[in-house]
Amino acid sequence: MPVQKPEYLRPALIAGVVAGLLSGLPFIGAANCICCLWIVGGAAIAAKLLAANTAGALTMGDGAIVGALTGIVAAVADSLVSIPLKPFSMDLARRVLDKAAELGGEMPAGLDEIVAGSSGFTSPGWFLIGLFLTAAVFTVMGALGGIIGVSLFGRKALPPSPPPASAIPPSTGPGPSDAA
Amino acid sequence: MTPRTVRAVWILTLSGTVLWLGAILLAPWLAGRGASGAARFFYAVFAPVCHQIPGRCFALDGYPLAVCGRCLGIYAGFAAGLLLYPLVRGFSRIALPPVRLFLLLVLPMAVDGAAGVLGLWKSPVGLRFATGFVWGTVLPFYFVTGFADLVRARRDRALEKAAPTK
Repeated sequence: MPVQKPEYLRPALIAGVVAGLLSGLPFIGAANCICCLWIVGGAAIAAKLLAANTAGALTMGDGAIVGALTGIVAAVADSLVSIPLKPFSMDLARRVLDKAAELGGEMPAGLDEIVAGSSGFTSPGWFLIGLFLTAAVFTVMGALGGIIGVSLFGRKALPPSPPPASAIPPSTGPGPSDAA
Repeated sequence: MTPRTVRAVWILTLSGTVLWLGAILLAPWLAGRGASGAARFFYAVFAPVCHQIPGRCFALDGYPLAVCGRCLGIYAGFAAGLLLYPLVRGFSRIALPPVRLFLLLVLPMAVDGAAGVLGLWKSPVGLRFATGFVWGTVLPFYFVTGFADLVRARRDRALEKAAPTK
């Protein structure tokens, strides 16, 4: 009997867009600091969606694939959301550094420029490099989330196997051979 | 699944983890030596995965590492878990950790993180590192197992295609 191939794209698109949008938002996106929480969580949800739409049990490889796809979709969504929010993100980074300096932390010379600047690359070239780097990181983290998702949601109870032939009581009615 | 496949995935993952941890240290090291352009690049690499708030990062040469204490803990824990992998799991047995263990190890980080968000307490960087480390140790047991299974599935499919049809 041919094994049904899981449909990876749809769950990855749904979960990836949501995870990417959440990752791109200021403050909310900071949850990604906990091991890419939105990405790992989104990929786990993608695995759950995949499990719901697949007849058999998922393999760990299925989780890795759907998770990695979720990570790629999330990277694109995150990068697109980040474009209009870039000035705000730069301002936020500078305010965080100012606050840290106020609290007594002595900032080395040039740190402001380095850290705030790293979140403020605005040229199209840097956008593409940033997208590539984000996609690479999110793909790996997404694959991890997908595998965790399979372990949490992907196992399905197998249908009860038929009893062995010796356990079946002998038929009392006429069988096909008896009727002949 | 052959132990060779699992071992190959393990070695690749270990190499990637060493590079990843090296890049985290490289950003402040470069900044401390005046190579601000290169340092900016490495800080930018980690910007999508961490808030990089200096007060929550360990420092090297006076410059914050490219990720915060909790993220560093997760990655260091991942490396530690990888080193433990052959001793705990071996390369011939493939199984995911029990869900209960996963939930138990994520609990300290979840409690600490939630309390921080709710303003109940402010954890020092060391505690953030420790809770991240605890969770990180279980992650390679998913990562290596999942990727080894993926490689096996692709190899099986390739063999099926290559086999002559009757």
